[in-house]
Amino acid sequence: MTTEEQAGQSGDILELPAASRATDIALDELELVYAFIYARVGNRADAEDLTQQVAMKAIPRLRQTAPASAIRGYLFATARSVLGAFWSTRLGLSEAELHEDLALVIPAGPSPEAGIETVQQILTQLSDNYRRVLELRFLHGYSLKEVAAEMHSTVGAIKVMQLRALRAAAKVRIPE
Amino acid sequence: MSRKPEDRLDKIVSDLLRGRRLKLRGGDAEEKAAITAAARLAGARQAPQRMHPAFRNRLAGALEQTRSGGWMTRRGALVAGLGLAAGAAGGAFLSREMETQPRRAGGEPIDPANGRWVDVAALTDLPEGQGHQVVAGSIGAFLFRRGDSVSAVSSICSHLPCELWWSHRDGHLACPCHPAAFTPDGRPTNAYALPALNTVRVRVTAAGRVEVLGTE
Repeated sequence: MTTEEQAGQSGDILELPAASRATDIALDELELVYAFIYARVGNRADAEDLTQQVAMKAIPRLRQTAPASAIRGYLFATARSVLGAFWSTRLGLSEAELHEDLALVIPAGPSPEAGIETVQQILTQLSDNYRRVLELRFLHGYSLKEVAAEMHSTVGAIKVMQLRALRAAAKVRIPE
Repeated sequence: MSRKPEDRLDKIVSDLLRGRRLKLRGGDAEEKAAITAAARLAGARQAPQRMHPAFRNRLAGALEQTRSGGWMTRRGALVAGLGLAAGAAGGAFLSREMETQPRRAGGEPIDPANGRWVDVAALTDLPEGQGHQVVAGSIGAFLFRRGDSVSAVSSICSHLPCELWWSHRDGHLACPCHPAAFTPDGRPTNAYALPALNTVRVRVTAAGRVEVLGTE
């Protein structure tokens, strides 16, 4: 049974240090969870909601004296489950229908430090035009009009290129 | 609604780049891969994010409360203000009031901070078994009468923030924004993993008036 499967069961209990020190430890771990989630939903409001869901789901099942690694594993397993539910609900899909994308959205292990390195890994596997449009739009914050001017194209063409570039980016698999 | 997928996706990308929430529709599932890729790129624009101090404090308060024995649901925590002392006190008061006439169905009940009972209809005005839409301040609800009992669910879809409507023909609440529908007790009718509708507190007074727990 995987950690993720374990997290979905109601009976399992992990141990957590006592009193408010436990809250501090949980908050430090939840910082990692927050970064992990933020890197996948791309906005603060959803990241806060989902982090809170993870805390509410996982913390009551934790008890005293668990090693930090077990707590972290449990929180990240819960985070993966919460993220899966988030995408399936927002897109109106069952989690089975969403499954093919989970490999991209939800990696097998916690890697909260991924960030820009992950993006660069994705971008380097795209064609020049696709990489350029996503770099300008996402990393440099250009508007469509600015991207069009930079790439000597039209806004309409850049919009289509952005869609195709994102579809291509979604197909890139990165070793976690 | 934009007809071209590139227009719709650019709207999502633009919202993400402005730091806004992901507001998706049922039809967006066609581009789910591109959308998740966009969210990931948007999320990785900067160094790994840390929680906002205010959110961290609210979370700490919720965790302390959880550990001290009082389980608090996410929505309950949000409604209570997660750290707003006034909200916590109000919540306790409302909980005692509610014990006399809870009318719960599918989802979690809405307990607005500083909530108050709002007279919305006479019991005799409500058609048996049919949805009747009412507004109590900021709370919108559909009421359903069964004999002398009344239940209420939120009039806002649990998936997209759209106002539901009552379909007499189908006997369910339908969402105009995507193919989602809910039974009168708030449960989704289709196979999608949608959350149930929030329930709304409702009571019937001795004088036969129906009151909903709403806001000023």
